[in-house]
Amino acid sequence: MNPAKSPLPYTDTKPQGSADFYYAINATFRYILTKLGHEAWSAYLQEMGRGYFAPVNAAWRTGGLPAVARYWRAFFAAEPGAVVEVTEQPDRVEIHVRECPALKHLRAGGREIVRDYCRHCHVLGAARAAEAGLEMRLDGGNGSCRHTYALPSAALPPQEPAAIAEVAP
Amino acid sequence: MIGCYDFCGHYEWTFGWLERAGGHALVRDYWNEAINHDSQRHARDLIRGEGIPGMLKYWGHTLLEESPDLGFHISHREDVFRIDFHDCPSRGFLLRNGIHHYRDYCDHCMGWTGPMLREAGYVIDHEHNHRGQCWWEMRPAGTPGGHAAPGSVAGAKDVRLRADWPRDPAQLDRYQKANDPDEKLA
Repeated sequence: MNPAKSPLPYTDTKPQGSADFYYAINATFRYILTKLGHEAWSAYLQEMGRGYFAPVNAAWRTGGLPAVARYWRAFFAAEPGAVVEVTEQPDRVEIHVRECPALKHLRAGGREIVRDYCRHCHVLGAARAAEAGLEMRLDGGNGSCRHTYALPSAALPPQEPAAIAEVAP
Repeated sequence: MIGCYDFCGHYEWTFGWLERAGGHALVRDYWNEAINHDSQRHARDLIRGEGIPGMLKYWGHTLLEESPDLGFHISHREDVFRIDFHDCPSRGFLLRNGIHHYRDYCDHCMGWTGPMLREAGYVIDHEHNHRGQCWWEMRPAGTPGGHAAPGSVAGAKDVRLRADWPRDPAQLDRYQKANDPDEKLA
């Protein structure tokens, strides 16, 4: 990964991804939850966070919170339909997702969304943050939420499971 | 959040994870159940309902969205639907970014389209070179014969006419009137 070139570890020839791929992400979650169970789904996301996202985690560890903010701005710019604001504070980065591009597209396509869809952001995000020496919390869901990536010195309260909304049918 | 901009990257990573979790059978089942029957059910419904015109609607839309610079060419007649990929947007993403977590990413295409087309009453002739070039011909099940001659369906757009298309079949994965990702010709 070359942070000077792009904050994203993997780049494409087109500026945004194809939103229909959210169908496959949702279907993959449903498949793993149904076939292998919730524990396996969490393991899948944690391993993806430590493995597939290793280049991002390394950049965050090196570049600190400014690198986290750069990444999420670039990430959501490449997600079609996202309405997101990224704010930087001395001890944390907050990502205010006003309109989740995934849930918006899944709903527009009439797809049944897995109830725990929003929880994936926390399981994955916490695994990635831990690799970078950070902490991650998630508040909200079901279409809008706030992700917080913080230094340990921010002393964030523990993640409250009930703070993550289930996706409404 | 798992995004769609790098979908092909984590999709490919997922194949490797599933294989570690449940072997090849689980990967095959995932392609059929999660991708064919769930994610891509809009494709399945179109093609089962309309046949080749449905293929044109589905792939015409999805490939334009995935590959707006037209790294593909679609040909169709009443008896055959053909796609030539000169620059596969999906495999190309992996190659450009140096992503490799599963032994043969290209198998996923036959993994979900094979069963989908079987259910719709079609069989597939196909070759891919693992470098982002491949071709597909879909014909009604029961159509006899081997691969059509290069250029006979797609004319000059036939990927087999490229100077860099392997002349040695051993360098290709090849399928003939198939619907199963494991039905590769020896």
